[in-house]
Amino acid sequence: MKANKTATLGIAILLTFWGSQLPLPGQTSAAAQWSVQVDNIDPGDVNIEPAFIVAIYENLLVELAKEKQFKQVYRKGDRNATGPMLILKTTVQKYSPGSETKRAVTTVAGATKLNVRSQLCTPEGKVVVEQVVNGNVRFLGGNLRATHNLAHNIAGAMKRSTLPEAL
Amino acid sequence: MVQKFLSLLLLSFGTHLAAQHATHILGFGDTANNASGDLSIQEGALRFQKTGAAQSAQINLDSIQRASLGQQDKQVGGTALAVGRAATPYGGGRVIALFSHKKYDTVTLEYLDANGGFHGAIFQLDKGKGEALKNQLVANGAHLKEAKDESK
Repeated sequence: MKANKTATLGIAILLTFWGSQLPLPGQTSAAAQWSVQVDNIDPGDVNIEPAFIVAIYENLLVELAKEKQFKQVYRKGDRNATGPMLILKTTVQKYSPGSETKRAVTTVAGATKLNVRSQLCTPEGKVVVEQVVNGNVRFLGGNLRATHNLAHNIAGAMKRSTLPEAL
Repeated sequence: MVQKFLSLLLLSFGTHLAAQHATHILGFGDTANNASGDLSIQEGALRFQKTGAAQSAQINLDSIQRASLGQQDKQVGGTALAVGRAATPYGGGRVIALFSHKKYDTVTLEYLDANGGFHGAIFQLDKGKGEALKNQLVANGAHLKEAKDESK
């Protein structure tokens, strides 16, 4: 009797876990039909170093490919980009330059903070998904690590969003 | 006559850049991030030769659109020293951190690949070497656009 109860509980846990791994309706099936092209990062009105702009762009390409949400991830201007395409536009809204030394000495000060608005648009310019995402580095790592964290968060936010069916 | 000879001499020196030690932060071909190596200009191409590796990555100077300079202040010693600092008692690690940092130049390159795809690469060089690299790129025929940040 006790063994039966344990087995039932185990199966219930397994089913719950399996269920949590399944995509929500309209999430992956639709997204898998789309490819994405990462547009240049727009610094907006923020005075941000070019190294950060480039690092956000390059890290986005890596993180979006890792998530495997889209069929293909293309660079801006890539002539091979074909098929149903969404364009990822990213605009920097806030940037606080930090200091690795300040972080190492004080622990609480010197964080590098980034805040961006990311939009997935159709080639016609219709915004399909819009998210405001943060990326920070507070303790360990260089300042550019904030761009990696930001790109990781953007890719995660895009994966959680619901995309329309590709035409 | 002498001026012509001198300008020819300068041009011939300008075609090559003596290999500079650099750290590849990200974005240059298939090179691993944070790889150390030598950066050189040879035959119209910018080449990065990773230390201890036979293969190198390179891009044509014509494909470089923009080169921007920056500075970074970084802790030296990597993970090993970071762990050592954390393990030092009575806040001694903080004192070590106060003195174990170094300033570097960063050179950010924006370039296009053969398919027209936009790329960005970041290199970290010793302080004062970034400007020299940028000048060498221009001297060797890279047509750089004006960087946005430098106009501000």
